[in-house]
Amino acid sequence: MILMKKQGRSNRTVYERFPAGFYPAAVLFTFLVFCLCVGAGSVAISPAHTIRILWSALVRTLTGSGQGLLGAVPDTASAIILSVRVPRVLCAALSGASLSLCGAVMQGLLKNPLADGSTLGVSSGASLGAALAITLGITIHGTLWSGATLMAMLTAFLSMIFILSLAYRLDRSLSTNTIILLGIIFSMFISSVISLLIIFASEKIRTYTFWTLGSLAGTNYRNVLTLLIALVICGAVLMRYAAELNAYSIGEENAANIGVNIRRVRLVILIAVSSLIGVCVSISGTIGFVGLVTPHIMRMLIGPNHKRLLPASLFGGAVFLMLTDLLSRVICNPLELPVGVITSFVGAPVFTYIFYRTRSGRE
Amino acid sequence: MKKILALLTLSAFMAAVLAGCQPIQLGTNTAGGAEPAAAETVADAETAPVAEAAVAEEPAPEEAVSEEAAPDAAEGDYLVFTDMMDHEVRLEKPAEKVVALSAADCEILYAIGAGDLLVGRGEYCDYPAEVLDKPSVDSGAETNIEQILALEPDVLIMSSMAQTEEQVQALENAGVAVVVSDAQDIEGVYTSIRMIGMLTGHDAEAEDVVKSMQDTFAELKEDPTISGQTIYFEVSPLEWGLWTAGEGTFMDEIASILGLTNVFHDVAGWGEISEEQVLERDPDHIVTISMYFGEGPTPEEEIMSRPGWENVKAVQNKSILNLQNNELSRPAPRLAEGAQMLYDFLTGQEAEEELEPAA
Repeated sequence: MILMKKQGRSNRTVYERFPAGFYPAAVLFTFLVFCLCVGAGSVAISPAHTIRILWSALVRTLTGSGQGLLGAVPDTASAIILSVRVPRVLCAALSGASLSLCGAVMQGLLKNPLADGSTLGVSSGASLGAALAITLGITIHGTLWSGATLMAMLTAFLSMIFILSLAYRLDRSLSTNTIILLGIIFSMFISSVISLLIIFASEKIRTYTFWTLGSLAGTNYRNVLTLLIALVICGAVLMRYAAELNAYSIGEENAANIGVNIRRVRLVILIAVSSLIGVCVSISGTIGFVGLVTPHIMRMLIGPNHKRLLPASLFGGAVFLMLTDLLSRVICNPLELPVGVITSFVGAPVFTYIFYRTRSGRE
Repeated sequence: MKKILALLTLSAFMAAVLAGCQPIQLGTNTAGGAEPAAAETVADAETAPVAEAAVAEEPAPEEAVSEEAAPDAAEGDYLVFTDMMDHEVRLEKPAEKVVALSAADCEILYAIGAGDLLVGRGEYCDYPAEVLDKPSVDSGAETNIEQILALEPDVLIMSSMAQTEEQVQALENAGVAVVVSDAQDIEGVYTSIRMIGMLTGHDAEAEDVVKSMQDTFAELKEDPTISGQTIYFEVSPLEWGLWTAGEGTFMDEIASILGLTNVFHDVAGWGEISEEQVLERDPDHIVTISMYFGEGPTPEEEIMSRPGWENVKAVQNKSILNLQNNELSRPAPRLAEGAQMLYDFLTGQEAEEELEPAA
C-alpha cells in the first residue's frame, strides 16, 4: 500500500509511541463526547438538570423504583433527554463505530485507501434493499430485525459481491480506480432506481434525502439494541481477523504464503461488513464518509496495525458521528439538517486529499 | 485498438444523442402542422432561441408581434388579462378545452362547474374523483410540451413557472394560451378562482365559490372557545423525519383565522424540525396529514405511542386530527372545508365538556 510505504520509516516509531493508556483515554473521551451530545441540543436544558435526569433514570432502572431522588425536574425536559437525545446519541455512536470499523476493514482487505461502504456502492445497495422491502411491504412480525433491515443486509452483500467480482474480472489487482469507478457507477444506478421507487410509492417510503444523506432523527431504543447486537457480533468477527488483515496488507499472495486461508477470510469479512452496513443503512440511511475519514485519521494517530486500528476506529467513528450529528441538530435550530450534509462537508475535502496523496505518490 | 474502440463508442454515443434530439424538433413541427394557421409562428419559434439573447437590447421582434396582435383585439378579443405571474394572456373566446397541470386548479375547475372543459390533467390531480377519468400528462419538471399539444387545448393552466420561456413560447405559438395560477395565500386562491372563472366564462359561479369560502372563514373566525390555543401541524411523521408547516403556509394562515397559534410560526414555509422542539413547545392540538394505508397503527395512534410524547398536551387530551386528503395544503376551494373540519374537531371536543353544539 503506497500510503504505508511512504510512511514506512516513521511507522516503527508510531508503533512504539502507541501509549499504554490508549484504551482508557479513548473510552473516557468517547464518554465525554457522549455527555456533551446528550447535554446539548435544540432545546436548552441546563447541565445540572441533565445530570439529575440521567441520575434519577439510572437509579430507577437499577432499583426498579426510587423516583425523583434529586429533586423535581420538568417532565418535558426528562422526555427530551431520555426519549429523544439518549437513544439518538447512542444510535449515532453505534452507527459511527460500525461504519468506521467497516471502512477500516475494507481499506485493509482491498489494500485500497478509498474503500468504504459509500464509495464501494454497498450502502447504496443496502438502501435499495431497505426501500424495496418497505415498498413491497415485506415485514417479519415479532422480531427485532425488520424486513427492511434483513433486505438491506442481503442487498448490501449482493452488491458487494457483484462489484468486487466485476472489478476482479476487469482488473485482477483490484486497483483503487477500478473499484471506486464501479462503485460510483453502481451507486448512481441505484440512486436512480430509488428515485423510481419513490415516484411509484412516494407516500410509503422515506424521502430521497434520507437514502442519500441519512438521518438519525427519530431513532429509538429498539434501533439502539439492533445496532448493538449487530456491532457486537460482526465487530467480534472482524476483530478476530485483525492479524489476517495485517497479512493482507503485504499482498494477498504473501498472506496465503504465511498461512492465511485467503478465500475463507475474505468471504467471512465481506459477509460481516455488508451485514453491519446493511443494519446501519436501514436505521440511519446512507451516511457517507464516516467509514472513509475516521480510519485514516486513526491511522495517522496510531499507525496501520489492524490490531490497534480496528478498536481505535470504533471509538473514532463513534466520536465523529456523535459530533457531526450534534451539529446537524443545532446548527439551524429549530430545523434539522440531514447528518450526511455535515459528514460530507468534513469528508469530501479529506477524501480529495487522500486521493491526491495516493495519486501523487504513484507518479 | 483501444483507441478505435473508444472512437467507435464515442461516435455511437453522439449518434444516440443526436437521434434523441431529433423527435423534439420533429414534434414541434408536427404540432405546428396540425394547426396550419400557426405555421408562421412556428417559424418564429425556431428563430426565437437564436434571437433570445438579443431580446433585451433589441425589443423589435416583440413589438412586431404585439402590432400583429393589436388588430385581432379590435376584431374582438374576448379577454385580455394578466395572470398571477404578470404575464399577459389573450383569449378570443371563453376557453373550451383546458389542460390544468396542478391539482388545485383541477379542483377549482370542478368547483366552478367547468370540469367538463378539462381535456387533460397533471398526473397528481386526484380530486374530485371524476378528474381521474381525464387523460393525464406529466407535470412539474417533467412537463412535456408534446403531450399537452396533442390534447389540443385552448388554455393551459399551471401553477408556477416550472417551464422554460422557450416552452411557454412554443405553446403560445401553437395557439395555446398559458395561464399561471400561483396562489400563496387564501387571498391568492380567490384570485385564482376568479381568474379561472373568467377565462372559462364561469364568472358568476367563481364568485359564488369565493363568496362561500369567505363566508365559511368569517363564521370560523376566532371562536373564543378555541382562540389562543396552540397547534402543531405534522406534515411528515417521525419515522421519515418530522416536517412541519410554518409561516407562509395555508395551514398557518388557517390556524391564525381560527385564532390558534401555530407553535412553529417561526419556521418559514415547510421545514424539518427537531423532535425536541415539539416536546418543548407542547402543543394543545396536533394535525397530521400523513396517509394511512390500512395496516399498522393509524397516524393518530402512532403519534400517541411515541416514547417521550406522553407529556405533550395534545397527546394527553387525545386531540390529534388526521386530515389526509390535502384539505389544508392545496390552494383550492377545499381549504374552507379543511378549516371547517379542523374547527369542528376542536370545538366538538370542547362540546363534550361544555355541552356546546359544534357550529
